[in-house]
Amino acid sequence: MENLININASQIAGKLTAQELNKEEVFSFFNDRIKKVDPFLGSFVESYDQPVSGEGKSFLSGLPIALKDNICIRGKKITCASKILAKHIAVYDAGVVGRLKRAGLGIIGTTNMDEFAFGSSTENSCYGPTKNPWDITRVVGGSSGGSAAAVAARLVPFALGSDTGGSIRQPACLCGVVGFKPTYGRVSRFGLIAFGSSLDQIGPITTDFTDCAHLLNIICGHDHRDSTSAFLDVPDFTKSLNSDIKGLKIGMPKEYFSQGLNQEVKIAVEEAKRIFEEKGAEVIEVSLPHTEYAVATYYIIASSEASSNLQRFDGIRYGLRVKGASLEELYTNSRGQGFGEEAKRRIFLGTYSLSSGYYDAYYLKALKARTLIRRDFDQVFKKVDAILTPTSPTTAFKIGEKASDPLSMYLSDIYTISTNLAGLPAVSFPCGFSSSKLPIGAQLIGKEFDESTLIKLGSAFQNCTDFHNQIPKINHE
Amino acid sequence: MSNFEIVIGLEVHTQLKTESKIFCSCSTKFQSPPNSNICPVCCGYPGVLPVFNKRALELAVRVSLALECKINQSIYFERKNYFYPDLPKDYQISQYKMPLGERGILEFPSGKKININRVHLEEDAGKLIHKNDCSWVDFNRAGTPLLEIVSEPDMRSSQEAFDYLTYLKLILQYIGVSNCDMEKGSLRCDANISLRKKGDPKLGTKVELKNMNSFKGVRAALEFEVKRQANALENGEKITQETRLWDVEKLKTMVMRTKEQAHDYRYFPEPDLLDFSVSNELIEKEKALVGELPIERRKRFLEEYKIDQKEIDVILNSIWLADFFEQANKFYSKPKELSNWLLGPFLEQVNTLEKGFDSVKISAKKFAQIVKYFCEKKLNNLSAKKALCLSIATDQDIDSIIEKEGLAQVSGEDQLSLFVKEAVKENPKPVKEYLEGKDQAIMFLVGQVMKKSRGKANPQVAREMLKRRIEK
Repeated sequence: MENLININASQIAGKLTAQELNKEEVFSFFNDRIKKVDPFLGSFVESYDQPVSGEGKSFLSGLPIALKDNICIRGKKITCASKILAKHIAVYDAGVVGRLKRAGLGIIGTTNMDEFAFGSSTENSCYGPTKNPWDITRVVGGSSGGSAAAVAARLVPFALGSDTGGSIRQPACLCGVVGFKPTYGRVSRFGLIAFGSSLDQIGPITTDFTDCAHLLNIICGHDHRDSTSAFLDVPDFTKSLNSDIKGLKIGMPKEYFSQGLNQEVKIAVEEAKRIFEEKGAEVIEVSLPHTEYAVATYYIIASSEASSNLQRFDGIRYGLRVKGASLEELYTNSRGQGFGEEAKRRIFLGTYSLSSGYYDAYYLKALKARTLIRRDFDQVFKKVDAILTPTSPTTAFKIGEKASDPLSMYLSDIYTISTNLAGLPAVSFPCGFSSSKLPIGAQLIGKEFDESTLIKLGSAFQNCTDFHNQIPKINHE
Repeated sequence: MSNFEIVIGLEVHTQLKTESKIFCSCSTKFQSPPNSNICPVCCGYPGVLPVFNKRALELAVRVSLALECKINQSIYFERKNYFYPDLPKDYQISQYKMPLGERGILEFPSGKKININRVHLEEDAGKLIHKNDCSWVDFNRAGTPLLEIVSEPDMRSSQEAFDYLTYLKLILQYIGVSNCDMEKGSLRCDANISLRKKGDPKLGTKVELKNMNSFKGVRAALEFEVKRQANALENGEKITQETRLWDVEKLKTMVMRTKEQAHDYRYFPEPDLLDFSVSNELIEKEKALVGELPIERRKRFLEEYKIDQKEIDVILNSIWLADFFEQANKFYSKPKELSNWLLGPFLEQVNTLEKGFDSVKISAKKFAQIVKYFCEKKLNNLSAKKALCLSIATDQDIDSIIEKEGLAQVSGEDQLSLFVKEAVKENPKPVKEYLEGKDQAIMFLVGQVMKKSRGKANPQVAREMLKRRIEK
């Protein structure tokens, strides 16, 4: 059988439609590959020998897909890479799982992540870190690191992740794949175990924009079980593929190119700018003046929401229960032993920010800053159709390098966080490689519910570049 | 004691009568087997999200209107965070900074007005059951829509607090938003009480009382607390700000937690729900559904029926009774007589029925018919009661009952003369006493005639005939 790692999901789908392949062959190809290669990477939490699928039909029917371990699949283990949920079985399907089943995709397994999505390296996992397929001594980024690594290593044609402050885009960047965070409200959050409810969004991780558009077509749309889900028609995103970008206006915010940005990354993004110009887009410099407040604002809001969202893991109804002499002891034992260091840090941070006496100085002030950050984007989007920035200030760093320095870890999300605060769609795509052959990613940010423009630009970029076709050679290969 | 003024404010929680829960589609049915009306949403499973039941909003708006509150038309929910096993998410979705209704008024029939501070929506928690040295949680109640109604500290006695509760309950029942059954937990009340020197403009330190499970319990707990605080203050002690539990067996309050142990609930806007607006259309629709409030009905009853205030209050205390009374009055417009029969023999019968008013089958029309027959002397008191007894739980045709049971009153002197003759002949002693001037004695003889006629004799006619015969 043909080596399916050299073609994208849409091409496999074409072969399935043409009956050159059947879906059992496709599934077992990737299942074998996971078994063979994943021991070197640790990108999966669990892989299934039989796909979890529904009866439906779509262009992508029969394709295997992997889901981040925070999206509920009925009857399957769901852990958020946390000891506190280590034995938990989901009792219902997430909104996106229903959509995948109705589209006939087959879920092949769940992928590793930072515990409860707290992190930017997938090191904060109770299963241990996932290793970067481009250099297994390096991190994959996070928190959807397992999904990004699995797609980069072609263990699965595509995957879903979740993005609260960059958790789809940053690992996609560090692994050299396409990671798309749709507009807040575009994809149902029902069944996504919440981190920061006002920021979380599920999105696709794919090798290119073609697969991305097809997968977005399936997962986007209103869900009555999620009150924050937008009641809007979803365009056919594949119509934005391979189209002309002449006349589109792109802004580059000067605040995103200042100190802390790695020189090689800067040059690669400048090169991406040149390619967009060559294709007929107009690129101008813009300003997002409140960018410097984004990281602080984000960590207060996201941690506040998380501290409340994580209260339910109390050892009473499900998950880990460590007995104690009193109710309070049962709580402290279960949570004390169930949560990892970073989860505890965020719970403390959020609890503190919401406490009486501190609420106004932290949470309330953060809400105000969030409004200012949103307004920055509103202003800029009066002038441009999209914004181009680096995704991450650096390429993949060494495993353990930042583990003891949470603040420098938080800064690796500096370019991705603002879009979550503003609820905007954004995508990271490969735009180059460093001298040490590590992927570099650029980010495009769009107007609210205007994912199409991002697909248009990304697809045009990939039509004349080859970065997305590079496949890492993993040790044994 | 008399040196102090009592200051009381009440927090009432009432379950709203919706078919399904406030944030999921589970049934709100009471008395289902434990954990049968539950789903991942109301059990706080990972990944679930709330969806607001607009029916709860409608009912809450109706209450706000009935209490003359200012309605905030743009509102949002907040999370109240605290750990407890009966609280599935370990936070309660509630309203904090922006309640649905604010600054309302509840007016007593006496004219006394209690200001309402706020009316807000929230979700109920589950229920802990302690059994066999073990604790169990029943989540059936978790997610039931609750309305919290907070009064200003405007009550000046435990009796006033009792009246407030009685009247508030009546309003909630009248506008059809809640069953207000304290035993079933659909109405709950916490009280805040403090004492201050008479004339002192500053409020004293307040104590919160919890765990009262009846209105009488609220009154008793407050009375206990008044004495406890007055004693303490008279002895120069300070009152500590704390929460105390009412012990219904020991009849006293006991410390549950002090101010220092109070929760920091860390309220913040619920990010899983969007802000929502209360439209003018909704307000107008609910305004129409508020209908006649008890105080308005009372006024109308006084004018329209001209019966005793006390009787009116008893009738109005139950919507069922008030509606029944008004219907009956349409068929037989003698309010005084209807009221006598309703509050007398009718209620007496109802009390013997297993499910009270729920077991009553007789129509208001047939009830009116019985009263009418009595007034027209077609039935005597005894027969009318018997007719009522036979029809109250069956709604049989009254005329057929009268005929079948032979209840029609006998007033004809021809039919009664034999009984009168016998009664006089058989009872020489009462006859003699009557002749000696003891008027009471005649009643014994009337009784004898009633007995002989098997209850059917018209007692007035019998009495006249007896008098005539004895005095002859």
